[in-house]
Amino acid sequence: MNIFGFHYRLERKGIGLVLAIIAVASIGGIVEIAPLFTIHQTVETDPNMRVYTPLELAGRNIYIREGCYACHSQMIRTLRDEVERYGPYSLAVESKYDHPMLWGSKRTGPDLARIGGKYSDEWHVRHLYNPRDVVAQSIMPAYDWLMTAQLRIEDLGEHLEAQRDVGVPYTDEMIAHATADAAAQIAPDTPAAEDLKKRYGAATIIHSFADKPAQVTEMDALVAYLQILGRLTDAAGKPVAQTGETQASGTQVGEAQAGEAQ
Amino acid sequence: MIGQLTKGERQLALVILIFLGLVGLAMAAGGRHDPLGAHGALVIVCALAGLMAVIAAYFDPEPDPERLDRYYDDPSKIGIVIAMIWVVVGLFVGDWVAWLLVNPDLTFDAGWASFGRLRPVHTTSVIFGFGGNALIATSFYVMQRTSRARLPDQLSPLFVLFGYNVFCLLAVSGYLIGVTQSKEYAEPEWYADIWLVIVWVTYLVLYLRTLARRKEPHIYVANWYYLAFIVVVAMLHIVNNLAVPVSLGHAKSYSLFAGVQDAMTEWWYGHNAVAFFLTAGFLGMMYYYLPVRAGRPIFSYRLSIISFWGITFFYMWAGSHHLHYTALPQWVQTLGMTFSLMLLVPSWASATNALLTLNGAWHKVRDDATLRFMMVAAVFYGLTTFEGSFMAIRPVNSLSHYTDWTIGHVHAGALGWVAMITFGSIYASVPWLWKRESMYSPRLVEAHFWLALTGTIVYVMAMWNSGIVQGLMWRTYDDSGTLAYSFLDTVIAMHPYYIARAVGGLLFLIGALIGCYNIWMTIRGVPSAAPRVATDTAAESPVAVPAGAAAFRSGE
Amino acid sequence: MTIYHDTLVWLAKSAGLFYLMGLSLIVLIYTYWPSNKKRFNEAAETIFQDEDKPCR
Repeated sequence: MNIFGFHYRLERKGIGLVLAIIAVASIGGIVEIAPLFTIHQTVETDPNMRVYTPLELAGRNIYIREGCYACHSQMIRTLRDEVERYGPYSLAVESKYDHPMLWGSKRTGPDLARIGGKYSDEWHVRHLYNPRDVVAQSIMPAYDWLMTAQLRIEDLGEHLEAQRDVGVPYTDEMIAHATADAAAQIAPDTPAAEDLKKRYGAATIIHSFADKPAQVTEMDALVAYLQILGRLTDAAGKPVAQTGETQASGTQVGEAQAGEAQ
Repeated sequence: MIGQLTKGERQLALVILIFLGLVGLAMAAGGRHDPLGAHGALVIVCALAGLMAVIAAYFDPEPDPERLDRYYDDPSKIGIVIAMIWVVVGLFVGDWVAWLLVNPDLTFDAGWASFGRLRPVHTTSVIFGFGGNALIATSFYVMQRTSRARLPDQLSPLFVLFGYNVFCLLAVSGYLIGVTQSKEYAEPEWYADIWLVIVWVTYLVLYLRTLARRKEPHIYVANWYYLAFIVVVAMLHIVNNLAVPVSLGHAKSYSLFAGVQDAMTEWWYGHNAVAFFLTAGFLGMMYYYLPVRAGRPIFSYRLSIISFWGITFFYMWAGSHHLHYTALPQWVQTLGMTFSLMLLVPSWASATNALLTLNGAWHKVRDDATLRFMMVAAVFYGLTTFEGSFMAIRPVNSLSHYTDWTIGHVHAGALGWVAMITFGSIYASVPWLWKRESMYSPRLVEAHFWLALTGTIVYVMAMWNSGIVQGLMWRTYDDSGTLAYSFLDTVIAMHPYYIARAVGGLLFLIGALIGCYNIWMTIRGVPSAAPRVATDTAAESPVAVPAGAAAFRSGE
Repeated sequence: MTIYHDTLVWLAKSAGLFYLMGLSLIVLIYTYWPSNKKRFNEAAETIFQDEDKPCR
């Protein structure tokens, strides 16, 4: 028996090996991830940032359900060509209410982090209905059935409550009126729409997105979500002025802001 | 199958299945207005199928006490068959989505057939369906042989195997009806995740119980890798899937993490799923099957231990290389890049170890397609880990990220390493498990090998090209200093590569189909008297294998 | 008690490094300890033992 008698006994018992694996493997994870749980101390803050309306949240869930994230990122990197193509690079604060985040890992289609407001509602509806009606060479699937699929809104209060449980600041009032607010967002100039604006801000886009005022369709929800992308906060609007002008393509811009906030 | 269970185990199986059925009933009732209801129905169907199987054989005689003198191989056999079914499903859907990028209207106007829903069906089927079942099946085989101990009971291996496949079914069917968490490679929703935890803990306990019964004082290194696979996947799975369901009647849940934390957690998971599911587990396979098939001990046992701890340690830190130039703090990105580069050391140590083991056995590699599968797997493992470290370098990543280069890299690993080592191991173990002289047709193994290799190369080459071309086009400026190409220009430029990729995938799929046929015919064959040793009884075998042709020489 | 981000980052950068070096050293010593050589060589050969049945 040598000084490794201890290790030898560890190994003899499978359980010891398991514990060693857990110890070795978990430390890497802890070291890397633990600081991120205090990251709110360093992330930009924006007291004016608003939360998703019930309709936008429902649209986000459709985006998730259809796997849009498999082909579209929502994360503009700190590279010159990306900033010029898509707009100011993404900040951490912009996805702080995103449970889960939808940064994506592949751009079979373009980045959508700042798609909100770039095209009209009608363009989005036509494009989703059949992308090739609008962009002849597009390889995106057609989502025509969203036009006729009625959105399930009666349980949106429960969705908002679950969101609050994970840390999104929805108020009791927002939760109580979730269903009504979802319906109100496609009915401009109604008293309900005014209430919605009171709760979520005057800039809330209220429009019959799919132009079918009689019912709230999944198309309404998805377009409402797409139109708010990148517009929950204007925190990212500020650093854009510093975009490097003489750097080679593919080089970084504003590394300091994106990196350690120290 | 049920006949191998003792009376007590049959009763316990009934209890478990009834409980599962009740859970399914509760899901169906609570989620009747939700996709959860459909999954409740699926669980009920699974439970009923299990109940019928157990009841049909309930009064069969108790298993032969002499069974305890043999290894318990039923779960390995079933696992291999199920893995081959999953690989065909997964490759078929994968090739389908590949063609969808060539012609987006191949959805036949069905919502469930769009790229976004089918893609996770592909990834889950091949990674968890094929890879997972192959790992479970081979781990049962390897742990028994290396410990010289029989599995401690008959029921829990079957519970692990079938329970795991219920999870896979819930996952894959869920995507089609729109149930997903959207976390890549962790898409299944909360109830499926909880179920997997139960199955996985049983798996770990089973592994430890078998190891506890072993006679060898030392635990053979393959088991270390399998254990790391089981343990770390459990850790990753639990942390990354922490979520709050909308209600107990909803399939939908919201991740506990948001934004940058969620991104880091997801890619900490995602990268380590590659590390401990797709690397550690399959290295366990390699460290057993490759030396045995080659008839030579591993080149350096010490090197295998060093690589083991290197992989276990380094991989954990590398996940953030998926998030270069994003809103993740830069020091975490740099850390991820550094460790990704260091990872090359243990990775190449493993690949080199495997290849040097073949020194003195190269004539077998030439003659035996099964061993050649394993050899090529080791080569691809070395290539892919090099490429991975390279792509983790920040400036390289600025070009490769978001493009098909990543897809090419993943498939070099998935097709070239994971699938090749698995096919090699399956072709080695099928004759051993079913007591055959060799595979039904070594020629078909040969055909499968060349189809798989060609398919992989075509696929990976196409994706390298498309990825680099697209990445460069995105950042090309014209003389006036504006971006030269619209996004659509770059999509149009991908078209020929997408066709090539889909053709490569098709070749790989055809190879797998040939493999299924070959395995099926081998299983149907007449057993030979003495497995794994050369005998004179080859004449009894339906295959005209010359006497003396042991499993090691099936390549002619 | 408030845990500060900077503290955690500092810990990650310092303790993490020492942990890495220490662990590598332990693994290397263990692997190349002379008296372990025989055991490892035997282990590499165990998979070739012929009898295809369990000891228990």
